[in-house]
Amino acid sequence: MNVGTIIQEERVRRFSPARSVEHVAHVLTFVVLVCTGLSQRFYSLDISQWIILHLGGIDNVRLIHRFAGVICSLEVITHLGVAVIGIVFRKWQPSMVITKKDFTDVVHNIRYYLGIESSPTRGGRYTYKQKFEYWGILTGVLLMILTGFILWFPSVVTKFLPGEIIPAAKVLHTNEALVVFLIIAIWHVYNAIFSPEVFPMDTSIFTGYISKARMLREHPDELADMEDKPLEDMPTSS
Amino acid sequence: MKCHGYAVKMLFRSGESLSGTINISSLQASVHNKLSCSDCHYGFSSEEHPKRHFATRRDYTLASSENCRRCHFDKYTKTMESIHHTMLSQGNLEAPVCIDCHGSHGISHISKERALIAKRCQRCHAGIYDIYAKSVHGNALFNENNQDVPVCTDCHTAHSIEDPRTLSYRERVPDMCSNCHANKAIVGKYGLSTAVVDTYLSDFHGVTLKFYRLQKGALNKPAKPMAVCTDCHGIHNINSTVGPDATVLKANLVKRCQKCHAEAPKNFPDSWLSHYKPSLTRAPLVFFVNLVYKIFIPLLVAGLVLQIMLHVWRYVVNR
Repeated sequence: MNVGTIIQEERVRRFSPARSVEHVAHVLTFVVLVCTGLSQRFYSLDISQWIILHLGGIDNVRLIHRFAGVICSLEVITHLGVAVIGIVFRKWQPSMVITKKDFTDVVHNIRYYLGIESSPTRGGRYTYKQKFEYWGILTGVLLMILTGFILWFPSVVTKFLPGEIIPAAKVLHTNEALVVFLIIAIWHVYNAIFSPEVFPMDTSIFTGYISKARMLREHPDELADMEDKPLEDMPTSS
Repeated sequence: MKCHGYAVKMLFRSGESLSGTINISSLQASVHNKLSCSDCHYGFSSEEHPKRHFATRRDYTLASSENCRRCHFDKYTKTMESIHHTMLSQGNLEAPVCIDCHGSHGISHISKERALIAKRCQRCHAGIYDIYAKSVHGNALFNENNQDVPVCTDCHTAHSIEDPRTLSYRERVPDMCSNCHANKAIVGKYGLSTAVVDTYLSDFHGVTLKFYRLQKGALNKPAKPMAVCTDCHGIHNINSTVGPDATVLKANLVKRCQKCHAEAPKNFPDSWLSHYKPSLTRAPLVFFVNLVYKIFIPLLVAGLVLQIMLHVWRYVVNR
């Protein structure tokens, strides 16, 4: 079943417009943070020097990076706040929570890839691949927010903590940044763009809709749940 | 040489005089022993001996230094960029010219005895000389006759001596120090680490300085001068970082930090790892965090790439 060959196909709502806006905001802050951050980490590369000199010098780059970091922190706080409120007060399904099934799914799917199992795993709203990406990035970003503020205010931090915290925070910040960058650059870009299942691009986060064919293939358990329920009650967050 | 072997004298209008007697042995020992008198004193010979008028003895010295230009044009040009030449052109006639440092008839290779270089500068810069003589470098030079340590000209250069109070001079300080301190052949003998340069250059101050230097001219100038070697170690008064001086250096460090980081508490200097690379004994926390990522990142990349390859392979097989 190739999505591109079906002209008129049934679609289902996957994300609310708020999620699409949130995703675009994440993309923008991510790009700014990567350009201004990785160029500082790999400062001796020509491309890094080109970026830094074209952004008005190292002081400007640090200023932009910190500003984008604050925006990113606000986005994360908003995201977590919305998720908590949604789950507690609106009875959203905590569908991003990692369960035992996710671990068995990893093993099952790898066995399927190797030809040992006959069928792939049946995904719920979020598959283990998506959960790995979500939690990998979320923990990374939380660590970077924490260490980022430590690096921003070293004089304040060392009033309470030993000085070694500062270089440790720097090492953690810069390495965690690389982890998040690699998860996005390898895993997310593959799954959202280059994977033969979605190529040339998975547009569901932008349009809010996903084809029913893909739902059946990638999230069959969620589709089964959905068809028993009206659409309004669908979990849209986490 | 007939006349100048005897007691002849030059008289100046100011009433000063200068002996015209030449010490032949010093002339013969000089690097110029192949030159004839008129090579420098051109216009003069045994036949021709025009009378010249100089107001003072200093005027004669300044004029004689112009003679060096005929052969040593490169050095002469360099001196024209120097702070000494600037002072001279602003009317300070005491600013040194060639003869003041090199001498006149007994010129030798000045680089042979490095302590002599410092002594030359001492004539005018006595205060700084005294400070330098007590430093780890000066002490080794004068008391141990150590020829590895820097003398004045190693940092200030010999001819194009620049005003050391400028920002551009300051920004080149790490280059000057790394001439020796990044060279294992020189500092290795004394048990000094060459990592001091790398650890500075790859840390916050070093990286910032690197960009400040690249930003020169094209972009807005830096808001404040970046800390360089001399800010913590001192300039002419550099002390050893081991032994009894080390504790003084350490105790003063927080005060140095506070010059730029006004709020810096007493723990603050520890955020700089004192040129040590993180290890189990030095900054173990930093070492540990680094180690975890050194293992984790390759595993992560390998795991993700493997999954992607398996996925593509399964997709192709299913088709």
